[in-house]
Amino acid sequence: MTSTNKQAKAIVQQESGLAIINSKAPFSSTHGKDALDIALIFGSFEQKVSLFFQGDGVYQLIDNQDGTLLSIKDYLKTFSAFEFYDIEDIYICQQSLANRQLGEDFHISDVQVLASIEFSAALNRHQHILRF
Amino acid sequence: MKTLAVVITTPPYSHLTTSALKYVEAALEAGIDVVGVFFYQDGVMHANKDISIASDEYQAISHWQQLHQRYQLPLHICITAAEKRGIACDSMDNEKINEAFIVSGLGELVELTTKAARLVQF
Repeated sequence: MTSTNKQAKAIVQQESGLAIINSKAPFSSTHGKDALDIALIFGSFEQKVSLFFQGDGVYQLIDNQDGTLLSIKDYLKTFSAFEFYDIEDIYICQQSLANRQLGEDFHISDVQVLASIEFSAALNRHQHILRF
Repeated sequence: MKTLAVVITTPPYSHLTTSALKYVEAALEAGIDVVGVFFYQDGVMHANKDISIASDEYQAISHWQQLHQRYQLPLHICITAAEKRGIACDSMDNEKINEAFIVSGLGELVELTTKAARLVQF
């Protein structure tokens, strides 16, 4: 590949849009909810937003959870509305799941399980990143 | 022209605030167009007039005020986050909110992000 081709490819891969990294468990803090609010606002302004779940953040996608048992508003239910906000790119870190001995039973569909290298490559395609 | 937006999610007594202020000031001095600073989560506490930090410690809030005055730097606070933390935002002449700050919503964060080439969070 010539250097010009490489440059052209790099430009094509330079995607815009916001990536939100979720790195905290769902119910011990408000980080998950605060990140969700940002995702929905970006979605309603028709801005591209992708969600990344990593570290303890992977617990936010695990099936059969009920925050109301802890008297916490169950914001995880709102995840099922992502398609109405055109939030389609949802990535979860395979290594984070493996480290916690978690399976791939998620409460929403269309979650993409990515190996660390693919996860970072997907993240790198975004212009802006926020972490919660 | 290079454009930058900054998101602050840490409170005024956090050491990250010092880094954020030094970073923003350096950017402004370098002629970078800082389109605005958005305060979210505990970051909104920077706008609380009643916060008092010991005089021998770093005065984050007065540093924000100085940057605002010198460079007309827009400082936006998220209304929902502010209300949760006891800074009521019903009226514009709210006595609890420092005059250097603008009461905004998350829509402002969308605006700033679309205007800025880079987004940095502290």
